[in-house]
Amino acid sequence: MSTTIPPQERPRQAARPDRPTPARNRKTGTGRHSQRWLAWVFLAPTILGMGLFTLIPIVASVVLAFFRWDIISAPSFVGFNNFAEVVQDPTVRVSFLNTIVFVVVAVALQLGLALALAIMVQEKMPAWLRVFFRSAFFFPLILSAASVSIFMRYLFNEQFGVVNWLLSLVGIPAVPWLTTPGGSAAVVILVYVWQNFGFSFLLFIGGLASIPVETYEAASIDGATGWRKHLHVTLPLLSPTTLVASVMAIISALQVFDQPYVLTRGGPGDSTRTAVMVIFESAFQRLEFGQASAIGVLLTLIIMAITAAQFRLSKRFVFYQ
Amino acid sequence: MTGAINGQLRQITRRTALGALGVGIIGASVASWPRLSGTDIPGRGDNSLSIAILGTAADAAARQRAIDAFSRIHPDIKVKVQAIQAVDWKDFFTKILTMVAAGTPPDVVYVATEGAQLFAEKLAHPLDDYIRRDAADMREFFSDVHPSLVEAFMYKGSLYQLPMDWNAANMYYNTTAFAAAGLDRPADDWSHLDFRSSLAAMKKARPSDFTPYYWTNRLFGGVVPWLYANDTSFLKETRSTGGDWLWDGFYASDPSRSLRSGGYQWLEPNANDDRVFESFDYLRGLVKDGLGVRPEEGGGNSLVGLFASNRIGTTPAGGYWVQGLHEAGMAEDGFDVQFFPRWKTQRHQFGTAGYAMMKTAKDKDAAWEWIKFSSSREAMELIFPNPATTPARRSMVNEKLYASKGPAHWKVFYDTLDRFPTTGPIPAPPQQAAVETALMKNVSLAVSGDEQQLKQALASMQRDLEIALRRQP
Repeated sequence: MSTTIPPQERPRQAARPDRPTPARNRKTGTGRHSQRWLAWVFLAPTILGMGLFTLIPIVASVVLAFFRWDIISAPSFVGFNNFAEVVQDPTVRVSFLNTIVFVVVAVALQLGLALALAIMVQEKMPAWLRVFFRSAFFFPLILSAASVSIFMRYLFNEQFGVVNWLLSLVGIPAVPWLTTPGGSAAVVILVYVWQNFGFSFLLFIGGLASIPVETYEAASIDGATGWRKHLHVTLPLLSPTTLVASVMAIISALQVFDQPYVLTRGGPGDSTRTAVMVIFESAFQRLEFGQASAIGVLLTLIIMAITAAQFRLSKRFVFYQ
Repeated sequence: MTGAINGQLRQITRRTALGALGVGIIGASVASWPRLSGTDIPGRGDNSLSIAILGTAADAAARQRAIDAFSRIHPDIKVKVQAIQAVDWKDFFTKILTMVAAGTPPDVVYVATEGAQLFAEKLAHPLDDYIRRDAADMREFFSDVHPSLVEAFMYKGSLYQLPMDWNAANMYYNTTAFAAAGLDRPADDWSHLDFRSSLAAMKKARPSDFTPYYWTNRLFGGVVPWLYANDTSFLKETRSTGGDWLWDGFYASDPSRSLRSGGYQWLEPNANDDRVFESFDYLRGLVKDGLGVRPEEGGGNSLVGLFASNRIGTTPAGGYWVQGLHEAGMAEDGFDVQFFPRWKTQRHQFGTAGYAMMKTAKDKDAAWEWIKFSSSREAMELIFPNPATTPARRSMVNEKLYASKGPAHWKVFYDTLDRFPTTGPIPAPPQQAAVETALMKNVSLAVSGDEQQLKQALASMQRDLEIALRRQP
């Protein structure tokens, strides 16, 4: 699949002497001025919206990281104190570590599951069933994460949950899913992956559909069969999709909040407390908006660094046709 | 117009039309801007008294009869009740603070014990002068309300709220499960060891699909009642001086007058106290022996349903549970209530709630009139028509309120205060949210492992509480 045209091959319409120059290119200075003005008019709502609801809050958040503010009293400048306190706070450190572990496990599971199911659906299912599975796997994503988590909390209840009841049918004793560090982390990851893999699945389905059949036929002629075809044809040709899917999955996983907050409230202990949960608790429970902003700034820097590293690595591992 | 000019004009006309459309959209947005302003928020933009309560629109509608009654007495004061949905009190207070930050604070807020000191410290206006001024009117109210409830709203010698409703952590038990285990109704002074024996008997009688003791990891009804019964707490409890104006003015002849103070203070952590360890170790034993559940953090949503379906033997709860159990289909004789078990003391834990007047209230006199009216018997009967909570007025906790709903021993609710006058409020300093988080996050670990894990969890709790109490509210 070729999506980019080398610059030297691009048609240069403006340079063709036989083509009449469009009237708009012959506009006077006043005409260009009015065009520019019109462009600004059209752009204004977007710029205004971005400025008001994205840019100003980002700048305000960074500035707030240098203040102590509890909503009620006037903010006071504290320099880098918030950052120093945040770095020394054991709960913040644990929550960042939890988040990184969560990202590694959840994203690996999410992408692995999505890819395996996408290959299976694309190759093994008749067309009408493909449509069904695409919808079925995407469905959890449109549900509210909080509602799903409340529901899952009932399912995974140690005493009365359906999961333990099913396990008891095969003689497995009740598992304390939500009250032990390991169990609660497993449930949070499971629920998150179940709800989010549908998006990666759709991306992979799209990527698989764009791989030319001839490539597989050529690989077959060369003697490649079964998993070798996937290893040497599917995965390399799917690498641009994998890059996009992984970048989006990682950014989303770094911001995980709903599932651990509703399922475990970050417990037991700090075992499922995540970075965004600590931001929420600092701001809206302890009223330390400066510290919350400082944690937010740190998390943003981490997300930017990881994303930059991904794109840098992609030059080595991503193969464009 | 010539064709050439027409061609140019056609292009310009289209752009002009699109431009005009863009300008029109912006113009329409600007024109509609006033409708999106804060004047739409109840109580803002007019002189209405804005009252915020925790609940749904249905809860606000339920207040309407009280508002109507108030309007008949004070036709000059317009009242708007704003129901704010929240997961719990902590969440509700966060939303109120957001309203404060947005410049649209309500005038009066219904605040529970959990937020009483945060409001008193930062947001609320003391009621002292109004109570002194209207002492003649207020005497009847105080004579009907136990001083323990009033003291919960004293802060540094001033009173910030009048208690409207309250609930103590009593012990509910399933009468069918007790009977199946051959148990009689426990004695009023049953001990924590009697309680454990009862749980063991119930487990023996029904070993599967049944939990003898279900408890949740919350500030109310979690580990705290056991700490209180063992004459300790996870925070060191002290009292402020002051408040004599109130006690001498309204409770001079009360038998517990000497116990009263200028309000509770929780300034230091106490998780490393030996009795705290002892209490947690007792609960750890219940979990280990399968007599009690490992508590989930913030759990409790499913509790009414599970109890009503006879799958739970005992659980700590207050009078607020009666209506829920009734609605869940539990027969009035299917459950009963008893005092919380005795340990070194039989001190109970309670939570209460009432209206706080905000410092920013536009018309404080009007706000006081609402608070005073709400404390009247007439208003409270309109606001609390069923046992979805325990009214603060002793005279309202009567047979009529619990008729055909149970429990048989409903008198336990108010007797908790009379029999155990040292019964105290939820430990909730101004830093309550941080304190609650510090407690909750360590409870599950403390009761789920071995003795070493318990010690580590309590050490962690002590450290987290120190950090929480260091913070400014």
